[in-house]
Amino acid sequence: MTATRDIHIHVPVLTRVEGEGALELDVVNGEIERLNLRIFEPPRLFEKFVEGYECDQVIDMVARICGICPVAYQMSAVQAFERLFGFEPPDWLVAMRRVMYCGEWLQSHALHIHLLAAPDFLGFESAIAMARDYPDAVRRGLNLQTLGNDLIALFGGRSVHPVGVRVGGFYRAPREEDVAPVLQRLRDALPATEALVNWTAGLEFPQDEQAFISVALSHPKEYAIGQGNLISGQGLETDISFFDSFFQEHQSPHSTALHATLDGRPYLTGPLARLNLNFHQLPKPVRQVMEGCGIHFPSHNMFHSIVARAIELHFAVFEAIRLLENYEVPQASYTVVTPQEGNAFGCTEAPRGFLWHRYDVDEKGIVRYARIVPPTSQNQGRIEEDIRQSLEKMGLDSPDEAIRLRAEQVIRNYDPCISCATHFLKLKLNRR
Amino acid sequence: MTRVIGVGSPFGADRLAWLAVDHLSTLQLADCELIKLDRPGSQLLNHFHDGSKVILIDAVALDETPGGVSLLALADLQRISTSTSSHGFGVAQTLALGAELGQMPPDFYLVGIHTGMALSELPSLDVNALEHLVLPLI
Repeated sequence: MTATRDIHIHVPVLTRVEGEGALELDVVNGEIERLNLRIFEPPRLFEKFVEGYECDQVIDMVARICGICPVAYQMSAVQAFERLFGFEPPDWLVAMRRVMYCGEWLQSHALHIHLLAAPDFLGFESAIAMARDYPDAVRRGLNLQTLGNDLIALFGGRSVHPVGVRVGGFYRAPREEDVAPVLQRLRDALPATEALVNWTAGLEFPQDEQAFISVALSHPKEYAIGQGNLISGQGLETDISFFDSFFQEHQSPHSTALHATLDGRPYLTGPLARLNLNFHQLPKPVRQVMEGCGIHFPSHNMFHSIVARAIELHFAVFEAIRLLENYEVPQASYTVVTPQEGNAFGCTEAPRGFLWHRYDVDEKGIVRYARIVPPTSQNQGRIEEDIRQSLEKMGLDSPDEAIRLRAEQVIRNYDPCISCATHFLKLKLNRR
Repeated sequence: MTRVIGVGSPFGADRLAWLAVDHLSTLQLADCELIKLDRPGSQLLNHFHDGSKVILIDAVALDETPGGVSLLALADLQRISTSTSSHGFGVAQTLALGAELGQMPPDFYLVGIHTGMALSELPSLDVNALEHLVLPLI
């Protein structure tokens, strides 16, 4: 008979994630008795802050929820208002909002791959330590992040908390002479992003296939970013306004962020879910890079998330080039839209998953109620399920330090943004 | 050329470095570029690219006279910084990364403005102490 030990591991502060969180793990008689991803960052109450403000003010306010994915917040909000007001964005606007969103995917994915996740796979405690042995990789990450930020600033005036998005369009359209140098930098960066896909695919991955539900937006004409229906790998397809008919949010005592389930089950949102569901819509050159990288998609190994991010990063650069190649300043950068009373629903694909908004708006265009469902809170249940399965597969008789490292790596596979979700890891492991 | 960079945000005592740059801008300094950055994270390194001398000003949570000014060593910043997050690289982490990548300016000075311990309050900046410390460095 194999002797078992009881374990209690507490990671009091999770590093290389955004926000304040911890992990508590109790192993009794060789089985996990308690596993809590504790999110204790105080609720940020943004949904109450925005009540009483005009729609265009709310678009700038929700950008303040996150310094990494402000564009996602703005795009979900503006989509919600424009759907309610019956405004159909013209082709130029749809394309340029997609370019701005590509900038956010580019900077966020570059940051996560190089500075947050890669140290896990290469055996370093931080990107600073990794920079000693992999300076070129870290510089690549920083350069791509800068490029993404500059792409956002092109349309938003600045990359952190941009201010360019409004109902009906952009406050101003970039000048052609400002677009041209960014377009050239995107063209110059494209080979490096293709190389990045192969670099990530060459990392060593644990064999950790798990059954999970992928959920993402889907659009018939494109790899969905800023519009589409919600779909799952199990056959769900619904307009975003019916989110509440299928998805449930609930409070857990150990988290200040709401958990979400689909028909009572945890699910995955984010790059791997998107790629699993929509990879067939990637442009042919990007799909060829994906198919040639050695990792097969769809994948149910969450450690492949870093490769999925790299593929989406490559796609974001490819797509931004395509959309900017024949850039022309439009006659007007926005259309004045008359507000209407009603319930507004918006949903777009933030870098780490779909971001759903609901606003109840009065006849003057004032927001009277808001509800925001960010990706990290949706992924909480899946993260806890993943840690449990991954640790059981690795072996609960592993040393405490190995368990802690694996758990942290699993969590970082999701690129959680706790500041968004509270509106994250210290590990506490108890063996008894 | 000297580049003076104030790192901060619009909130409370984190505005101190911006106020310092605003004050220096009133002095008509020759051959000196003044920049205010809002929580730049690792993107701070983009401002170290051309070999210019850099004076980096940041608010530091020190239990000293609020609004006072100190010349810091990088090691001081590592000691002061307790951030374990995140997406957001703090100034201490970014400077450590810059050192590993060999991207630090040849002439680099780090100036800290004391916040005191009440971070949500904006103390008065000691402009005389600021001028006395920074102007000889430019």
